[in-house]
Amino acid sequence: MTPTQEPPTQKSGTALATLRELPQNVWNSIFRNPLPSTDLERSSTSFTNFFLHIHPVKVNKNTLRPTYTMGLGLIATFLFVILVVTGVLLMFYYVPSTTQAYDRMLDLRGTVAFGIFLRNMHRWSAHGMVAIVFLHMCRVYFTGAYKRPREFNWVLGVLLLLVTLFLSFTGYLLPWDQLAFWAITVGTSIAGYAPLVGKQMQFVLLGDTTVGQEALLRFYVLHVAVLPAVLVLMMAIHFWRIRKDGGLSRPEVAAAPAPDAGVVKLKKVYGLQGFVRGPFTKLGNVPDNSVYSWPNLLMAELFVFVLTISLILVVSLLFNAPLEQPVNIMHPPNPAKAPWYFLGLQEMVSYSAFWGGIGIPGLMVAMLFAVPYIDRTTHGVGKWFAKERLLANTIFLTLVILNVIFIAIGTFFRGPNWTLVSPF
Amino acid sequence: MKVAPQRDRQVTSEDSQMPRRRVLAWLSGFGLFASGLLAVLSDWLFFKPRVTYGPSARFAIGKPDDFPPGTRIARDVERVCIVREGNKMAAISTTCTHLGCIVAISDTGFACPCHGSHYDQDGNVTGGPAPKPLPWFQVTLAPNGDVVIDKNASVDPGTYLTV
Amino acid sequence: MRLPLAIASLVVLIVHGVVFRNQFFHEWERHQTAYIEQARSMSKNDHERAELEARAPRIEQIIVTSFGDTHVDRCTTCHLAADDPRFGGHAEPLKSHPYSAAMGDVQRNGQWERRHKFSDFGCTVCHDGQGRGLDTFYSHGQDEFWPDPLTGYVTQPNWRKDFSPKLKGKEYMEANCAQCHTEEAFAGTPHVERGRKLFYAMNCYGCHKIDGMSEGTLGPDLTEAGKKFKVDYLWESIVEPRANLATSFMPDFHLQPADVESLVIFLKSRRGVNFAETSLDRYKAHVANVAVVIPPGTAGEKAGEQLLGDRACTACHKLGDKDGGIAPDLSYEGLIRDEQWVGDHFVNPRSRVPDSIMPAFRFPAEDFQRLTAYLESLKTPPPPVDAHATFVNLCARCHGEKGDGAGKVAWYIDPSPRDFTKPGFMASKPRARFVASIQEGVGGTSMPPWKRILKDEQIDGVLDYVMQTFAKEQFKELKTRNIPEKNPVASNPESIARGEQVFELRCNGCHGRKADGKGPNSLDIFPHPRNFRNHWFVESVPDRRLFESIEYGVQGTAMPSWMDMLNTNEVGDVINFIRSLQSGRK
Repeated sequence: MTPTQEPPTQKSGTALATLRELPQNVWNSIFRNPLPSTDLERSSTSFTNFFLHIHPVKVNKNTLRPTYTMGLGLIATFLFVILVVTGVLLMFYYVPSTTQAYDRMLDLRGTVAFGIFLRNMHRWSAHGMVAIVFLHMCRVYFTGAYKRPREFNWVLGVLLLLVTLFLSFTGYLLPWDQLAFWAITVGTSIAGYAPLVGKQMQFVLLGDTTVGQEALLRFYVLHVAVLPAVLVLMMAIHFWRIRKDGGLSRPEVAAAPAPDAGVVKLKKVYGLQGFVRGPFTKLGNVPDNSVYSWPNLLMAELFVFVLTISLILVVSLLFNAPLEQPVNIMHPPNPAKAPWYFLGLQEMVSYSAFWGGIGIPGLMVAMLFAVPYIDRTTHGVGKWFAKERLLANTIFLTLVILNVIFIAIGTFFRGPNWTLVSPF
Repeated sequence: MKVAPQRDRQVTSEDSQMPRRRVLAWLSGFGLFASGLLAVLSDWLFFKPRVTYGPSARFAIGKPDDFPPGTRIARDVERVCIVREGNKMAAISTTCTHLGCIVAISDTGFACPCHGSHYDQDGNVTGGPAPKPLPWFQVTLAPNGDVVIDKNASVDPGTYLTV
Repeated sequence: MRLPLAIASLVVLIVHGVVFRNQFFHEWERHQTAYIEQARSMSKNDHERAELEARAPRIEQIIVTSFGDTHVDRCTTCHLAADDPRFGGHAEPLKSHPYSAAMGDVQRNGQWERRHKFSDFGCTVCHDGQGRGLDTFYSHGQDEFWPDPLTGYVTQPNWRKDFSPKLKGKEYMEANCAQCHTEEAFAGTPHVERGRKLFYAMNCYGCHKIDGMSEGTLGPDLTEAGKKFKVDYLWESIVEPRANLATSFMPDFHLQPADVESLVIFLKSRRGVNFAETSLDRYKAHVANVAVVIPPGTAGEKAGEQLLGDRACTACHKLGDKDGGIAPDLSYEGLIRDEQWVGDHFVNPRSRVPDSIMPAFRFPAEDFQRLTAYLESLKTPPPPVDAHATFVNLCARCHGEKGDGAGKVAWYIDPSPRDFTKPGFMASKPRARFVASIQEGVGGTSMPPWKRILKDEQIDGVLDYVMQTFAKEQFKELKTRNIPEKNPVASNPESIARGEQVFELRCNGCHGRKADGKGPNSLDIFPHPRNFRNHWFVESVPDRRLFESIEYGVQGTAMPSWMDMLNTNEVGDVINFIRSLQSGRK
């Protein structure tokens, strides 16, 4: 006889039973449903579970094609997770004081267990994230995935790019070595060229007229608290918008012809919620191009995660993050270069401070924001380099290549006093 | 018929055809799980500081001749009382075992100003709220002749270093 | 997808494993274990042995705050035997730190006692290096980004190979002793003392300032040279002054390596701070100059001679058998320059030779008088010899043995000595001009008047010798050129303004915006463009010569002919402008 599910009566024998059943009761109170074993159960779980319900229950096959998205958005997200984890760990040993910061970096390198490795992971993930979000933006552009109804998501994406750059910039200062100090001196000086508000902005950013203790503290707060919070908030909305916009963009598929006249024409269209919870529990009635998120999407995500982290681990094992001389405010290195993602800007700034630092970048960012509101066509979505989008793609690709060229010049072809040198 | 659904796992149709898949899945799972374990272990090692920046727990106090027989002197910075009787030296903690104040040397031993704990010459509690006797620290002779006290190493009361 | 996933997962595991393993078995743990075992085998009682058995490797550190910023020295983690006298014969890192009376250590009851206890000093205040590091590469400062490598023991990989071996040696550590032991002639720092003496004897003090020692302003302030620069930079700056600044006019004194080493050690000891000194001491020390004791009753000249020796003038100049090889020969100065000239030149060399690199020493006026009196007393002319020998003895020092203007001291002289091998120049000037230059000298330059040393025949002889041997030309009748004797354009503010405009348009690329000969093109031109602010020179040159130089150019130099681009009036305006500079109006 199996025990009933009525609550046990209060007899002395049941006190022992209560104790015996304690582990099972604790477990069941946390995990209300057993591990799913059928598609229906998996759909139900991925719909209701706190961590999983960010995913749709079913996902379009195209979304999972590696050659479509290359998982760039996922890689960026996972890099961010790695950055947060390693960053928090590093926070246990770092002090944002001009007199202590460098010594703490030496200690992280010398005495803290895994100090070098965690720092390497943090730095290479940071550089990686800047590169990957940029590539992600290119992917979204070249597949036309910013078009209606996804315009706002694109705007969010550009904002995310800017916050990512700012995060990387604020973090760059924290080691407080010559590389950090002068790169940020150059970068914040560029900010001072903005018309009207430039000098004020620079003063507020630095907390002083020059880079010093105030700047270090402000950049630290921005880097560990403010900007990650903003980034997480915007990422959340970014993912939410993906769901709301119907999932990732995909090429239009011609509707499958009706098989024969006998098929019931549904008057009401049920969403997936209906399939999972509603009256129709028989799946496969409606032809569609989708697969279950669990296991397909989850496995894809796991794969991308493991790939990302294995790459980061290997790179962190082989290459050490740089730590140069301690800050010497009287002696800038020659040349003093900004971080690589700003070197294109620095190259342009060497021609004109305003246009190179504020004018052209400002124009480029404004154009990025405006892209989905200027391009109102709806064709060419869901595939790479669609022929209908030749003009749009060419313009963007040209600007991307120009940017890369400028960064390359700034990195390899500029030497002391910013003269042209040969890297060979 | 059971109300609770079955807990058997392999309902997919693939497993009978693809032992390779299982092997790969096991490898992946093992790799990730073991990495996770190592990561957790590494975190523990990471968080345990290997150096602290305060005053050192091991310090030299001078040569034995700097402490003539009969010395009973308190060093407040290091919170230790150096005792020499004849040719034997010891170091008794001057941190009260009640709530951590610094005890003063008194005629009969030690006395704590905070809550009135009293100790005898060897640090045993003779009165007041102190729960335990004052610990004795390891006293050693360094190779260069210095007397070294190690506050991280406690010894049984009554253990002396013969100089 | 599953295969790559499995591979990636295993890679993740392997990396975790490798990194995890790397956190154990550190180099310093091995050294500590070796020490513990050896100490155990050496130990004489069970108590000690038991204690060593129970000992586990751990990071040792000494934190010292008495020397400015906080020093955290973890050197004793590997150098665990530093204070254990039983390890005197072992190899590093388990070697005892030596004891010596020179370091102030004393022996008591047969045991050495250290004067500079490690718990008080740490290690890096004497040895430099990076205290916080725990592996050899970083802790010894071999990383090229670390500003303080282990002094005297370590060279960094980016140091120049030609002299980095000379930068090793225990004597370099004396620079650090001097952070506290600043007294002169301290027994423990002989190299610092030697370097200090050289600093005066080689006349470094004339150009470089060191707080409390000298007040030179021509070169960089060296008060904190040891704090700012590493020893390789200091060495390089002495042996190759133009290695880091192409326009530096610091002379190359051709010092022996031993002298360079002493100077480097001395400079490295200049940290701008003395830990043993109070601010009152520092204030009191802020007085200039080497005190020179003149025995009473010595007449001015004798005093001057002594001063000349003590003040190290022959570090640059030549006098008697001493020769610095950098500045002119003073042996006949009484016959060459008059008292007024010498006196003015001492007070400010640039008041007589505007582009001179000689420092303006801040000696008291009476010292200048004594020196002047002594130099003016040098009136013994050289014995008369033939033209060739005369040239070699008197002219070759600047004009070069080959007459090409590349004499021993030519590089340090501005305007440069004339290159006689340029036939274009030599053949285009009247002989009378050369004779005048030799007899009267060239105003505002280092070419002195020789008329009191050389008779007319000697001058003629030398001139002929120069023309034949170097220019390989004959003096010819020169074509008369259509040049006014005097400037036809009257000098008034309008003419000067016009002349300035022409100058800005045509001339300042070489002659500079300020007409001082330092235009942007001037670095590549030799001889350098004329400095028109050199009023001694400009006032000694008649209008005719200025006209000729502008209209016809100066053959043998980079000055082109402007005849086709400027008419006579414009040239006249320019000359008015140039002349107006001399009265200090511009």
